[in-house]
Amino acid sequence: MSGALAPPSDDALDPDAPAAAAATSRWPGVARYVVARVGQGILVLFGALTASFILVHLTGNPATVLAGGQLPLAQVQALSRQLGYDRPLAVQYVTYLGNAVHGNFGTSFRYGTSALSAVLSALPNTLTLIAVSIVAAVVISVVVATASVLRQGGWSDRMWRPLLSALQGVPDFWIALVLVLVLSVRLHWLPSLGYTTFSSLIMPCTALTLPMLASFSRLLRASMLDFTDSDVALALRARGLTRREIVLHHAMRNAMVVFVSYVALQAGWLVGGTVIVETIFAWPGIGTMLIGAVQARDLAIVQATVVLVAVAFTLLNLAADLAVIWLDPRIGRERVSGR
Amino acid sequence: MSALNMRIVRPRLRSGSLTAGLILLGGMLVFSVVATLASPAPTAQDLNNTLAGPGAAGHLLGTDALGRDVLAWVAGGIRTSFEIALLVVALSATFGTVVGVAAGYLGGWLDAVLMRLADIQLSIPPLPLFIAASAILANNMLTLVILISIVGWVPYARLCRAQTLVLRERGYVAAARLAGRRRATIAVTHLLPGLTTEIAVLGSLQAGIALLWEAGLSFLGLGLQPPYISLGFLMSQGKEVLAQAWWVATFPGICLALLVVGFNLTGDGIRDLFATGTSGGIR
Repeated sequence: MSGALAPPSDDALDPDAPAAAAATSRWPGVARYVVARVGQGILVLFGALTASFILVHLTGNPATVLAGGQLPLAQVQALSRQLGYDRPLAVQYVTYLGNAVHGNFGTSFRYGTSALSAVLSALPNTLTLIAVSIVAAVVISVVVATASVLRQGGWSDRMWRPLLSALQGVPDFWIALVLVLVLSVRLHWLPSLGYTTFSSLIMPCTALTLPMLASFSRLLRASMLDFTDSDVALALRARGLTRREIVLHHAMRNAMVVFVSYVALQAGWLVGGTVIVETIFAWPGIGTMLIGAVQARDLAIVQATVVLVAVAFTLLNLAADLAVIWLDPRIGRERVSGR
Repeated sequence: MSALNMRIVRPRLRSGSLTAGLILLGGMLVFSVVATLASPAPTAQDLNNTLAGPGAAGHLLGTDALGRDVLAWVAGGIRTSFEIALLVVALSATFGTVVGVAAGYLGGWLDAVLMRLADIQLSIPPLPLFIAASAILANNMLTLVILISIVGWVPYARLCRAQTLVLRERGYVAAARLAGRRRATIAVTHLLPGLTTEIAVLGSLQAGIALLWEAGLSFLGLGLQPPYISLGFLMSQGKEVLAQAWWVATFPGICLALLVVGFNLTGDGIRDLFATGTSGGIR
């Protein structure tokens, strides 16, 4: 977590900064930053592709995994030849990379279509789940953290903090089970399986939101307090701003830099992290599909899912990095710190 | 205490979180041992006594669909959770520390390569990777520990590298170098001691996360299966009988949450007490 950030106007007060430097555009620096981040994203995708390739070949011939120990050797060899698994590893790797770049992960034998289109058809359901959970967690945590900073040490602050710390340790799938137990089995209020009506969203999203809510509001509270404890805040106070103004306008904006990156990171993890909650609610998303594919040893679907999740993850983080440029005017003006 | 306060530095010799965390973890450990001694073997089935409610004769927390004692199972599960946490933290902390200190102290291309690797590692969401791996590999404790550690070493490496970059500029390290100490000796005797509290904080937080992953994978049927006794597996059994027997899924979940909270509090407490810098975030 970075410390408190100086407001942009501080440059004018800095005797070391020549006036000329302040006048030059920060765009060359920003461009360099963006190129570096995009390059890193491509590197990550390459890594994800390689990892999923290694994974499938970890036990030697994937055809034996497909056969599941039930086919005679001759048939395994035939299958291996048919799927190209008898070629040298290097050749397979290059072919795999080439196909992957074109979005071709092979045909899913469970669905009979291309693996990528099967996974893509399930993706919107997962994204809905994630979007609703993230938005709920962000909105609630902003309110909770602000209230807790404004009345630091007050009863709501003291009540929320232990509750949130405890919440952070509770596994989402257990929350899901308890919700099903109470709201579906006992009270018959909500449907427990599938995605039929809008109310189907309530339980899975609650299960995903609660643990995130805990980490979001703790992070936000800590970084806002970092700011209110800083010399900048003291200076603002000396200029006559009220504590409320400092918290709402300055501390909030400064905290957003770290918060946005963190939320994007969490959203990215969720793309692959909804699996357990999805299976509990039989949610028609990529998580349920992945588990089904693993059980049926449908390797094409497994590979496509892993890579798609990595793509979504990379894009989300890239978007967050770009948002941070807008939030933090220092980026590009000087050497990008942190490395 | 109002914020915008003067920053008063005073030594803190006690930490409520640390005390609470250690008591919680110690309590779970004692509970696990006592309950194991007092109950039948977790795998012992009693088909005449399936889905007995909590408080049934001889089964304080009830039985599951095969008549296995939930208390015994929970106690064994806590023990397995501790084992997983210990092994994962030991493995990933050792590997991450070696990589981080080497990268920070030696620098150069080694540093660049190792840290790019760590970047990539951090950017691949682990759960799908675990699930995919479990489609290919056999399910046992060793595989699971290695899988979780493959993801878990990165925060240690980043932390140790950053700290080493600071520590290597210190006077006493320069003095040791002038005295002709070998680089490996300097790393072990002069750099490592400065890293221990931060590693302890990370380790404690990671322990909680490792538990959640183990339970999640076992819940999906991809982690530990009998003969291993896992809280996650018991919860997956409980999910099947949720409508008839709420206790099978509920009790292991509570234990799991208490364990994770215990590790988190311990980590927060160590940080409050000793750590100077900020430990990098770990999920």
